[in-house]
Amino acid sequence: MLDSVERVTGAVDYMVNLRLADMLVGKIVRSLAPHARLQKVDPAQALRVPGVVAILIGADLGPHALYGAAIRDQGVVALDRVRYVGEPVAAIAAESVEAAEEAAMRIEIDYDELPPVFDAQAAIQPGAPQLHDGFPNNIFKHSKLRHGDLDATFAEADEIFANTFTSPPAHQAALEPHVCAAQWVGDRLTVWTGTQAPYMVLRVLAEIFGIPPESIRIIVPPLGGAYGGKGHIRIEPLVAALARKTGGRPVKFVLSSAEEFVTVTKHAATLELKTGVRQDGTFTARQVTVYWNGGAYADASPLLIPQGMVRSIGPYRIPAVQVDSYGIYTNLPPAGAYRGAMSSQTTWAYESQMDIIARQMGWDPLDFRLKNLFHSGEHFATGETLHDVHFIECLAAAVKGLGPVTSLPPGEGREVRVGRGYAVMMKSTISTSRSQARLKLASDGKVTLFTSTVEMGQGAHTALAQIAAETLGVPFEMVSVVGPDTAVTPFDSTTSASRSTGMMGKAVMLAGESLIQRFIELAVPLLETPAENLRAEMGHVVAAEASISFADVLKRSNLGFLEENGEYGTNLSLDPETGQGISTPHWHQGAGAAEVEVDTDTGQVRVLRYSASSFAGRVVNPRLAQLQNDGNVIFGLGPALLEEMVFDGGQVINPNLSDYAIPSIRDIPLELVSACIESDEGDMHGIGKMTLPPVAPAIANAIEDAVGVRIKNLPITAEKVLRALREEAEK
Amino acid sequence: MSIHFLEPADISAATALLAEYGDEAKIIAGGTSVVLMLRQKLIAPSVLVSLGSLIGWDFIRLDADGLHIGALTRLGDAERSPVLSQVCPALAQAFSLVGNVRVRNQATLGGNLSAADYAADPPAMLMALDARLRLIGPDTSREVPLFEFFLGFYTTVLEPTEIISEIIIPPLPESARAAYLRYTSASAVGRPCVAVGAVADFDTDGKCQDLRIAVGAAVETPQRLARAEALASAQTLSDELVAAIAEEYAQALDPLSDVRGSAWYRREMIRVLVKRALMEVRDRHR
Repeated sequence: MLDSVERVTGAVDYMVNLRLADMLVGKIVRSLAPHARLQKVDPAQALRVPGVVAILIGADLGPHALYGAAIRDQGVVALDRVRYVGEPVAAIAAESVEAAEEAAMRIEIDYDELPPVFDAQAAIQPGAPQLHDGFPNNIFKHSKLRHGDLDATFAEADEIFANTFTSPPAHQAALEPHVCAAQWVGDRLTVWTGTQAPYMVLRVLAEIFGIPPESIRIIVPPLGGAYGGKGHIRIEPLVAALARKTGGRPVKFVLSSAEEFVTVTKHAATLELKTGVRQDGTFTARQVTVYWNGGAYADASPLLIPQGMVRSIGPYRIPAVQVDSYGIYTNLPPAGAYRGAMSSQTTWAYESQMDIIARQMGWDPLDFRLKNLFHSGEHFATGETLHDVHFIECLAAAVKGLGPVTSLPPGEGREVRVGRGYAVMMKSTISTSRSQARLKLASDGKVTLFTSTVEMGQGAHTALAQIAAETLGVPFEMVSVVGPDTAVTPFDSTTSASRSTGMMGKAVMLAGESLIQRFIELAVPLLETPAENLRAEMGHVVAAEASISFADVLKRSNLGFLEENGEYGTNLSLDPETGQGISTPHWHQGAGAAEVEVDTDTGQVRVLRYSASSFAGRVVNPRLAQLQNDGNVIFGLGPALLEEMVFDGGQVINPNLSDYAIPSIRDIPLELVSACIESDEGDMHGIGKMTLPPVAPAIANAIEDAVGVRIKNLPITAEKVLRALREEAEK
Repeated sequence: MSIHFLEPADISAATALLAEYGDEAKIIAGGTSVVLMLRQKLIAPSVLVSLGSLIGWDFIRLDADGLHIGALTRLGDAERSPVLSQVCPALAQAFSLVGNVRVRNQATLGGNLSAADYAADPPAMLMALDARLRLIGPDTSREVPLFEFFLGFYTTVLEPTEIISEIIIPPLPESARAAYLRYTSASAVGRPCVAVGAVADFDTDGKCQDLRIAVGAAVETPQRLARAEALASAQTLSDELVAAIAEEYAQALDPLSDVRGSAWYRREMIRVLVKRALMEVRDRHR
């Protein structure tokens, strides 16, 4: 990795370290009510606190007070109404933390409480409290897929399985919190922010403040993790709006861990799956209904729910499919992307049901999958043809990696049982997005890659630098990476959905190829050879008898440097009424195999071994790829076994990493292996989350294999397992 | 509303400050608990009386009347103390499971007990060991058995002006065995859902002469159950007797519900953990 030494020694200049001249401290005053009209927000007392420079409240906001990644429903701070506990009501800029905290306690807020609703399925009932005008029954998004004759195909089924699965709200838990600073100089705005999507932040800020995009500069330092929680747009509008009131002084916000829990969450979801199967082990039909709890504001949900729709079906041949995927407002904090967005919830449902069906029908769960998994050239429920499909290889690799069955001596007085389970996942990436890259080669031979891909510990800059070095045929050490900084690095849609290696990687390759073409053209007179007889090799332009390095080409042409741009994008879409069309440029594919031990006295599940695989097309950096695969599994153990945000009256009661458990080093499987599947086509694909969604269903399937109980509600706590064991024993 | 941070040089200055500021003051030692409570706005003192400048309060000493642990002894130091490990490995084990290495290198034993956080490891083991606490006030000094120390959630018998000075663990017979078992329902390094400290002494025939079992983390304050302990008196700890004692604990205690487990689940886990702790003291060779 490019900066591995800096990462280990703590020298990486993370955003939390940012210090600007004359910088003020920012603090958010948050709603204590889950749903209320704001009768009064009075900052007068707070403004008198020594050291307070500016306070932003809803009444200060201009005509463009509302924003959102897709639906403009969220105030920069609350306007006349609050819709969740933790919603920003005011923002303070002060000389010190103490002054800001003192002022925060002196802002007078009067609430006129309204009835709240927290559960998504309760929120769509008639008579439920309505959160936003223009969205009856609190439904802000309904994605539909209609494929085949559902009634007729269900009628052909020998058995129909209907199951409901749930997944609770969870927390992305990046090591570094949301951090953002902003400064205005006249009508020009600079924002330093830990975002995954600098150009989306830029666009939304331009809309809010009514200034041209050229007047805004977004700088993104290296992030200490994001996992989707820093995607789209989040606290930047509030920070920039407050900074507008400080007389040109910059203001910086660092959210506390408790604030992190109310800033963005993983969607709680209820998934209903109805599936028809024949005695011969094939499917006839599947109907999926998903209720996504979007929280109080739509945030990224309208962009994610259509993806959640195609990701809810599974990688299997099913003649008729119907999906209804609802985005629903409730009085909980807004939900957004969470590593493997929506796929964690959907894979949990369809891969759990695969084992339910197989066991009830008396089939081997592995054989049942192998029989029905897609092959290349087959058609998905959207009508699109599937290319470069390797589900069977992924599953086979995962199973192989598990090796022979472990037999450990049980502990004293303990009764443990061991079981194995498998899961496969199929995930789309963003249908419409664009990446640009600029490559510069200077006369000292050094290469600079300008990219707006965000480095957040995943190693994207390393992989992109490798691609640049390989394309140009120069040593990796000669390449450095600049960005993201919208003043100097070109457009990129977002660093998310595992799209950077694939999309930005291609943009880098195209920039490199253009650059090579320029060098060849420049070398024609120098080597006295026509262009068609020249080629590039190892950083040189090569003719039959002679060659010249790129650096010398520049020197002899009296040029300091050359630079070229590359751009790669896709523009795909589905029909909104039928879900027919093309949903993704590439299908992400992954699989997992788990071996677990269940303590029948306590219900406690211990993952003894886990084997993961992902389809990478062509691996750019084997070590980083393995770490992505392994890291996904460890990350995935959290939502599978441990993680759930617990609310009481809309207030999260475990907003710290003591009461909200994420996996520790001691929770990691005794043996964890992973594999990257490559293909002859050799296209590079992202693998940022392929091995994550299978974790929970693979574990649940292994638990049923071990002790015969089926858990349908995440997380799979020891208590749930024990309860299920007791219920089973009473039957 | 900035907080005044005071660092008295000795115990009498500390108790005098507590007397002076009354409810406005909060003692801070390692700070791992107090700082969390401050950040979560569960407490809002105007004065923090730091014990950081007190000298000579972090000791581990074996006397004729037992093991003395200074209240300002860091849990990490206690966990690594050769004397403590020699006298009672199970106690070292209980200390080693608190939080994480960073917490243990900062948190003090006196602070851990004063906080009276139910989801803690040391109290159950210390209670099974019949530990006593010495409490120092402006003009007072008294000893309190640990089983009388905790009154409820985050409350103890400590007067507002009192500070724990040391923890005293009476000597264990050579023939006694102790075990500390904790059960975490979520992450392996999480706080305990149930904690069980067990001490048993056996005669040469293997009959149990003395049994002490304290259950913590699952209940408001750590509990011993004399009736259940007495079942073992002069008995061989058969599997049936172990199960009967475990059942007594499961039935008699009043477990609480929180994110680490419901009352139902905790009752089940008390039964399992008491059973396992008894088996461990029965079967493990000293």
